Amino acid sequence: MSDLFDLSDRKLSTRQGIDTEELTGKTFPYQFDATLVDDVDLDAATPGDDINWLEDVHLMSEDGIPAVFDRYTNAFLKIHFPIPEGREDEYARKVLIKHLQEGNSYGIWLKYRHAKFAQPELGSWLAGSPTVGENWRPPVLEGWEPPAGH
Amino acid sequence: MVAVNETSRTGRYDVRGLAEPDAEAPKTARIDGDSAVVDAADLSTRQINLELRRLVYGEGISEVTVTNPGAKHSIAVGLLTRCRITVDGSLGYFACTLGDGPEIHVTGRVGWSLAENMMSGVVVVDKNAGSLTGAAMRGGDLVVRGHVGARTGIDQKGGTILVGGNTGSMTGFMMQRGRQIICGNAGPGLGDSMYDGEIYVAGTVASLGVDCVEEEMTPRDDELLDRKFRIYRMDRPERFRKFVCGKQLYNYDTLEPSERKLVL
Repeated sequence: MSDLFDLSDRKLSTRQGIDTEELTGKTFPYQFDATLVDDVDLDAATPGDDINWLEDVHLMSEDGIPAVFDRYTNAFLKIHFPIPEGREDEYARKVLIKHLQEGNSYGIWLKYRHAKFAQPELGSWLAGSPTVGENWRPPVLEGWEPPAGH
Repeated sequence: MVAVNETSRTGRYDVRGLAEPDAEAPKTARIDGDSAVVDAADLSTRQINLELRRLVYGEGISEVTVTNPGAKHSIAVGLLTRCRITVDGSLGYFACTLGDGPEIHVTGRVGWSLAENMMSGVVVVDKNAGSLTGAAMRGGDLVVRGHVGARTGIDQKGGTILVGGNTGSMTGFMMQRGRQIICGNAGPGLGDSMYDGEIYVAGTVASLGVDCVEEEMTPRDDELLDRKFRIYRMDRPERFRKFVCGKQLYNYDTLEPSERKLVL
């Protein structure tokens, strides 16, 4: 969850593509074990009577490894377990929803620190998630003084 | 300087919607268990939205009805949680925008830019909507049972737009992903400069836009259409035509005169 957020864990490289592992500095168990996402109910996790916005989420690849795109982070999340043929999109969607429900999306971590208006931390993916952004204060850079005249 | 009028309302009201100085939820909703009713007659835009957020975020209310909306602009915007909202009447422009999770039903009409930038959720409008319906929409279902104006789904990046009637000109302009289902006729310039996505039209098409081409329907398309019409309890027209991007504009095939001079 958000309390684990630590900027020093990040391992940003200079390569063109940026994936979740670089931004968060870690991997997550459900990237390696299909049984951890098997019980994700996609219909229940999304508004409406079908899978709603997940209709546009498909299995893609990053660095030659199957991956799903996390639009809340603008980065790929790699999937390392073997995916049964014909169920590629289903597993991509389940991994993504698990990632969002557990609050591990880098974009959601940013929300924990930087949201300016009160809102549920885990948005529409998890009922009863804590509220963030209630007491936002502008970040202060220690030792910085505004230039004269400002 | 923004003009702020002193009125008989519970607070100050900026008629141009620029300042909305009252930043407190009015707490006037009638709450009954998991549902609530907000009478919007005497509330400003900001007050209505703050009250909605108080109810769905703070009070954990899952079903809210807004009465007397008075076609105000920018109502039910930026809601980032699962909830059901019924607007009993009509709304103005930028209604239900920036949503990520809410299921909103508007019983009347709406103005332009309905559900602009919606991330996920469902918006159903029983009557007509203005231009730019579903602009830059990224996900979710947007259903308008009546007609819509021009540039429906401009810059659409995902989700499904279902229109029971006709659409105006430049429908699907610069569409990048997602689906549009038009039960009636489409105006001139359908799918102009679209990059991706599918547009299904049951009626006539006045003309196709640049790089928009017709493609054969597949069983997957029929499954999508059947599912969406079943979910929203609408009658499916018998025959649809499918339009997609011709992908001729992905790369230059001719050089501009200035570029030709450089190459030669």
